[in-house]
Amino acid sequence: MTNAGPGTAGSFLIMSATVTRPPLAVVLVALVMLALGETAGAAMSRLKPEIQRYAAARVAANPAAHGFSGSAEYDDEVRERAIFTAEAGLSFFHLHGEGVGLVLFFASALVAARVPRRRTRGVLYLLLVAGGLFPLGYLAYGAAVLELGRDAGIELAERWILAPLGVSAIAGLAGLWLALARRRA
Amino acid sequence: MTGGDAPTWKVPPRWVLLVAVLSIVAAEVGGGAMARYKVELTRWARAGMQARPEVHGLVGVRDVDERILDEALVKFDAGLRLFHMHAEGMGLVIIATSMVAATVIPSPAASRAIIALLTAGGAGYPVGYLVWSALIPSYGLERAKALAEWLVWVPFGSATIVALWCLVGLVAWSMLARRRA
Repeated sequence: MTNAGPGTAGSFLIMSATVTRPPLAVVLVALVMLALGETAGAAMSRLKPEIQRYAAARVAANPAAHGFSGSAEYDDEVRERAIFTAEAGLSFFHLHGEGVGLVLFFASALVAARVPRRRTRGVLYLLLVAGGLFPLGYLAYGAAVLELGRDAGIELAERWILAPLGVSAIAGLAGLWLALARRRA
Repeated sequence: MTGGDAPTWKVPPRWVLLVAVLSIVAAEVGGGAMARYKVELTRWARAGMQARPEVHGLVGVRDVDERILDEALVKFDAGLRLFHMHAEGMGLVIIATSMVAATVIPSPAASRAIIALLTAGGAGYPVGYLVWSALIPSYGLERAKALAEWLVWVPFGSATIVALWCLVGLVAWSMLARRRA
């Protein structure tokens, strides 16, 4: 890692050697996740009533998926549970977007700096980038709950999006760990 | 892996790193203080609320007032927790994003502006949760939230969001430019 110009005003030399960075495409995915996470947090706070109204409208548009019975008391409870779950999906997206964006950034920076083989680096970048998309699963989770019903929506998002992307993130991080351990040995 | 023709990182200015690390330190201290002084903090907030019954809608009936006080104390505690969580996260966000800005943005003026927005926004935003908690005893839940929102969350949060999306655009632009070159 190096400063912009050693000796220039305001610069600060952290390390004497240069440290390579990951490809810009990987950095871009990490930044997009961070930006989406931030934006979702702001939307959750500023647009809460609008989001709740939209969620209620989507639930009302899919009565069969939510198993509405025609009993107002039961249907209200089902509607509230579905809206709460959809909001939870957005909240998880905010939280994971920020966290996973940082994990992708720092893990890929380590790959660039410490993994010598180009092919290994490529595989690790692919796994980490796929894992970096994990938070999008929570957006799908929120939307699927509204369109398909609570249980079917959660099942779909967990099985087809969250689990594969999460496994990819774990595999990428485990691969990085192995590469670092092997290099040290 | 160093040297050669491989692209390398540039470090952001020292003041940016100092602000980011300070934010993380403040978060750690905040987390520790929350646990260590939980009883004292709760007592302080409760006393502040009881001193202003009209602000909190306290009516002098124990059953009613206790419910109102409990709800306000939960929010007071939530504000401290959210400060702890956001200050830690945003410290890391400042380090990561300002490093990208320092490395990728070719124009020094644009780089400085984006780094300044990312740093001010990232470090300032979590403070809003402290402000919220601190104002609850004096101003009540809704007024305290509105004050924190307009004094801290909206300006600093907007700065971070705008700077992050600008950075995303500039990184994408830089990729396209490199491909064309």
